[in-house]
Amino acid sequence: MKLNAQPFVFALTATTFIGLPLLLYVQGEAPVRSWLKEGLSVLTILAFTLMLMQYFLARSNETLLRLFKGPSVQKVHKYIAYSAISILALHPFLIVLPRYFEAGIKPWDAFWIMVTNVNSLGVVLGLIAWAAMISLGITAYARTNLMRRFKNRYRGWRAFHAFLAVSFTVVAIWHAIELGRHTDLAMSSFFLVIATLGVGMLAGLYRPERTRKSPPAPLDTTFPQGAK
Amino acid sequence: MTIKSINGCIGCGECVKSCPCDVIRMDRGKAVITYPADCQICHLCRMYCPVDAIEMSPEKSIPVIVPWG
Repeated sequence: MKLNAQPFVFALTATTFIGLPLLLYVQGEAPVRSWLKEGLSVLTILAFTLMLMQYFLARSNETLLRLFKGPSVQKVHKYIAYSAISILALHPFLIVLPRYFEAGIKPWDAFWIMVTNVNSLGVVLGLIAWAAMISLGITAYARTNLMRRFKNRYRGWRAFHAFLAVSFTVVAIWHAIELGRHTDLAMSSFFLVIATLGVGMLAGLYRPERTRKSPPAPLDTTFPQGAK
Repeated sequence: MTIKSINGCIGCGECVKSCPCDVIRMDRGKAVITYPADCQICHLCRMYCPVDAIEMSPEKSIPVIVPWG
């Protein structure tokens, strides 16, 4: 009997990148707030884990490419990443959104105090991660134009994309551990393990023996002795 | 004490400025509950925190009563 591994991969992916973070969120000890605030927290956590999932929905995951067609994997990678980036791009605004419905500081005042407070390491890391993520999204969306404009090859763009992704991941996890309400030991460990596996897998794609091609055999342009 | 915890403080100092009883102080760039016994449950620190980092103990909170309300 031929075992179809595709449903297993779907189930494993959903469990790891949606089920597990939700379980860790529920098990966490952060105080429960209003439905709106908790909903926004869950949305942000899931968007971030979906961003981490992109390492496993890429060329670097050879096992996946044996089970699914490359263009299908690329399409899923693209749509999930654009969705997650759209949510995370709104993350700074979503933090202050509940202020519309509460007494006290006004949402735009809260936003301005937050983003201009550059004395806080967590805020600075968040701003850097946000900028890296937006760059990641824009350069991915406009990759054809960028490659044409800068006469860059696809491999060059791919390396740049990987560099931006790793930069975003490192800074964003640091930001989440520094400031995150729900990043307790379990959630932080989850992020670190998933990111380490993903970055490790990506690094495997750029192993020296893979990138270094054997030099082409020199063409023998000399005529054999006696030939005309 | 009604301030339960300060989680995710960005160190802007708004809570310190808003607290009428000097309950919260800044320590190494973060807000710290320094004099918990002095808290008068006014909720101003929570209301003026831009990132909603301050959690109040609901069991000890009382409804805010204002003279004109």
